[in-house]
Amino acid sequence: MGTATNVPDSPLSAGKAVGIDCRSVSSGYLGSRVLHQISFRITEPSIYVVLGPNGAGKTTLFRTLAGILRPYEGEVYIGGEPVDRQSSRDRLHYLTHMDGLPDGLSVREALEFFARAEGAQPRDVERVLDQLEIRGLSAKFPAQLSAGQRKRVSVARVFLRERSIYLLDEPTANLDPKVAREIRELILRLSREKIVLYSSHNLFEAREIGRYVLVIKSGEISRFDRIETVRGSRYVLGIRVLQPSPALAAYDQEGEYYLRELSGPEEVPTVLRELMAQGVQIREAREMENPLEDLFT
Amino acid sequence: MLSLLLGVLLALFSGPSFASSYALFLPIFGVVGSMGGLTVFTSDRTKGLLEYLIAYGYSPRRLFANVLLTTLVLVSIVVGIGTSVSLGVYFVEGNAATSTLAITMGLYAVPMTFACAAFASTVGVYWTALSSPRQGINSPVGLIPFIGILPALATLFSIVAFSLSRPLSSTTLLLVLGSAMGLVAIFVMVLLVSMGRLLRRERFLSPA
Repeated sequence: MGTATNVPDSPLSAGKAVGIDCRSVSSGYLGSRVLHQISFRITEPSIYVVLGPNGAGKTTLFRTLAGILRPYEGEVYIGGEPVDRQSSRDRLHYLTHMDGLPDGLSVREALEFFARAEGAQPRDVERVLDQLEIRGLSAKFPAQLSAGQRKRVSVARVFLRERSIYLLDEPTANLDPKVAREIRELILRLSREKIVLYSSHNLFEAREIGRYVLVIKSGEISRFDRIETVRGSRYVLGIRVLQPSPALAAYDQEGEYYLRELSGPEEVPTVLRELMAQGVQIREAREMENPLEDLFT
Repeated sequence: MLSLLLGVLLALFSGPSFASSYALFLPIFGVVGSMGGLTVFTSDRTKGLLEYLIAYGYSPRRLFANVLLTTLVLVSIVVGIGTSVSLGVYFVEGNAATSTLAITMGLYAVPMTFACAAFASTVGVYWTALSSPRQGINSPVGLIPFIGILPALATLFSIVAFSLSRPLSSTTLLLVLGSAMGLVAIFVMVLLVSMGRLLRRERFLSPA
């Protein structure tokens, strides 16, 4: 069964034309179904993190929304028009999970090629070279770039032209944390006021950038909601201190963190006040378990 | 380069048998020299570039047509440079332009080279799209040059077979050559037109 989600006062509410409308879509590869009657509707510009374990159907969903895979059942509308129309495709950008950079072209030549393919102007190439800080890589070929640099160039092509919908399939996968953060910040900066579907395995990344979470499990949408409404089954507070204290004797320890399970985040101020009253010098307090983890189980 | 070198050597040393010997080699070099189109196609598929292009409205048929066009441009370069330089050396050496040379080059070697390259490119695109991405000598790109010269071999065997039963007339020769080119042209056109039905879009995507 597919999941039809309807959240009041959310981007799923009906009545707005621009956006993504996915109606009972079943899709997959060579007759084998990966997505099963998925339905959702997005109208509000925001970042929607698409979460799901490997093989859940995230890439298949993106390929279907981008019009690459034709649904076996159901329909996809982009901006109120069927996705197979060119006018629909002109509304969206799709960043594939692979870099997709031509081997034989330098960074500048590749961006000029993409600009021609998308109807962008030469000045747009110059703009993204500066925006993504890749001008220094202009003359280099993909084989001469690091994974982070290749991803940066790959991201640059989706900002050659401004569009209203961005489908970004794991843009920070396989990147080290520093580069991943840089890419994330670039995407956040350049995609303001757009509908951004951003797939990721990284739960902390999802919490950091997402306003909504769309969870796919076994080809079905298991949850589509505001990210702050997602609460884990348990809340574990981790505390780092400057000096060990007898007041923490009852706490479990994990590395430098003293752990305490609470009923929810609302208890945190009380616990911290109690500890400080007992002379504990707190260096850091953080939630140790990501509530989004529960969405995977 | 190799085709150019071999052509010049044949023009210098083979004398009157240049026409037949060069004509045998040209399709082989044409196919090998035109593999660039298929190599780029295979690489672009693996890297996700074809997926990107399909997302922006390029049809698989258009992608295939681009490979075919690239192949024909590359083979034109191989044939153009190799043939003109080799023939130039052949004439400078004092050899005469004979009708055999004109027929062999004009009706067999050059058109058969284009036909073999188009055949190789077409089979290569289908094979690449229908198989899992892999590299090396057992990949489509590694094996297609051997398959690509099949039309030339089939044509030569047909000519030999006809000449065994009775002396080969020029009409029969033209018929065999024309049929071979026609069959290859039909083969390529049918696969090009049928691409939408025979190869679904997911065949052009990078591994998920």
